[in-house]
Amino acid sequence: MPPAFNREKCTGCGYCDSICPADAIYMRDEGEKQEPFLKYPEECWHCGSCRQDCPEGAIEIIFPPDMLSI
Amino acid sequence: METVHHATDVLVVGGGLAGTNAAIAAAEKGRQVVVADKGKIERSGDVGGGVDHFLAYLNENDDWDTQDAFLKYVEQVGKGTGHLSIIESVYCAELKDSLDRMARIGNPLTQPDGRFYRTRSMGQPGTYWINFNGKRLKPCLGKAVRRLGCTVLDKFMIVDLLTRDGAVVGAVGFHIRSGVWHIIRSKATIIATGNTNRLYENPRINPFNTWLCPFDTGDGQVMAFNAGAALTNMEYMRMTLLPKGFAAPGFNALVGMGGRFLNSLGEYFMEKKHPMGNRAPRYDVVYFTLEEIRSGHGPIYIDCRHLTDQDLDHLMASLGYDKDTLPDYFEQRGEDLRSRPVEVTVSEGMQAGPTEVTGSGIKIDTESAATVPGLFACGDAADHNRCVHGAVAGGYKAGKSAAAYAAATKSKDSPPISVPREMIERFTYPLHRSSGYPYTQIEQAVRKIMAEHIGPRRTEGGMRTGLQKLSSLEQYLDEIKVSDLHELMRARETCSLIEVGKMMGKAALFRTESRNKPYHHRLDYPETDNEAWCGLVILKKEGDDISCSFEPITNP
Repeated sequence: MPPAFNREKCTGCGYCDSICPADAIYMRDEGEKQEPFLKYPEECWHCGSCRQDCPEGAIEIIFPPDMLSI
Repeated sequence: METVHHATDVLVVGGGLAGTNAAIAAAEKGRQVVVADKGKIERSGDVGGGVDHFLAYLNENDDWDTQDAFLKYVEQVGKGTGHLSIIESVYCAELKDSLDRMARIGNPLTQPDGRFYRTRSMGQPGTYWINFNGKRLKPCLGKAVRRLGCTVLDKFMIVDLLTRDGAVVGAVGFHIRSGVWHIIRSKATIIATGNTNRLYENPRINPFNTWLCPFDTGDGQVMAFNAGAALTNMEYMRMTLLPKGFAAPGFNALVGMGGRFLNSLGEYFMEKKHPMGNRAPRYDVVYFTLEEIRSGHGPIYIDCRHLTDQDLDHLMASLGYDKDTLPDYFEQRGEDLRSRPVEVTVSEGMQAGPTEVTGSGIKIDTESAATVPGLFACGDAADHNRCVHGAVAGGYKAGKSAAAYAAATKSKDSPPISVPREMIERFTYPLHRSSGYPYTQIEQAVRKIMAEHIGPRRTEGGMRTGLQKLSSLEQYLDEIKVSDLHELMRARETCSLIEVGKMMGKAALFRTESRNKPYHHRLDYPETDNEAWCGLVILKKEGDDISCSFEPITNP
């Protein structure tokens, strides 16, 4: 489900969490740092705001099979 | 229980395009402003991720490029759905300043060369769409709101308005991450919560895969209605044409650039069905597309192969401005507008204005005031605003009017408000229930009932059945169980959806004619009757019921 987070590039700043209009992205502890995860994947509106604003370019949009196939 | 209290001049409920413009206006007039939004105002609302169109006449070109010609167009496509005097006040009088303001805040509507790029579609007599790159529009507006010193409550859901002696005096809501409740006392309150989505079964499976923002669920209209405000045009079930698997906007860009609708027989059907062809009003394109699909002529495509390379380059860029991820979608799906037609279909239904230039929702006057003192409305939540242009112009107008109202209201006129602890406890009870139903189960039933009984082909019997089913579904609202604050927010949205569904059914039953088919298509009254029905159906709360009355429109 979109978005996909690149764990190597992500610094855990949490901006995607703060701006997601779906309130779908949350942060969680992952070792030393915080990482974003998609808590409510079905509610993503694919608006692309997280990808546009990610300061590290760590977000990719990958559409699910149902949307690509119907 | 921890509660935070605010006292302000103007409260803006919803920080999308309309709400941020309203906040800017009220703050520029020197008023204290609080803005509340379920998201963060830099990226919330219909155009959070970007937008590519703004409807305007510019007095630059021919006869069609004037206010008079524009109002004639409104009357032509939206007859019986709006008072021209109100549109003149909340849009025309604000237009020039709106264009300047977008440039001033940092997202001009011009191309890099300083010129407007204009296109035509949807029954327009000339090129009324300004095509522009609005990907930074919301970040710029959010910054402007904060720079003006407004208090911004991000990730915050207003759940009800507070009233005293028949006037709105504030609102109550909670932060969706912390669960802290806030009580906001305001001299003037503006509703800017958008239209109502997630209301009909979704042809793309996921109910959140919607054309307009799926987090706009009519909450503001329902709160205003419960506070005594009149609503209008609620019978209209708006639809559009969208790419098959992804409800990404782009209709105006595709058609504006010259895209042609094609059926599976290889016929450009709109060019046969309507004198304006592909550039017919949106409701006509949807109506004839539904007819094609029912006749077995689907799938339907948009064909752009004949466009020049230059136009195709512009179109592809523009589609990405309107929906940032649409180019990715086309690429991942293997679509290419340059080499073959792309499949489109009719969108999910929604409650929204019957045209691009007439709205639905809270009934406003020439000053953007609702019928209840202290309450104002703008954007898709207001009955005389619609679309991007309506939100920018109408939002600012509502902000100015609310500021003037607040300035004339003395603080001693609005003493402190107490919100009963029981109200908050009742609202949060779904968090503590040991067993119950998920909100999604109730919401799916709403969508099914709306699609089958209050959908695009309506009859008296069907709608009465639908209304009964919605009423009986309501009993389960008291048995919803949620596991966190996020779900508590969604469960509240489900309640709004049932209320809006009932309003749609009541208004659509009352209007015994068809208008702007298929947005209000009565199979038992298939004709448009301008003798009896040229005007607005007004809904008001009467006890636990919804009353309907009719207000004629006699535009000059």
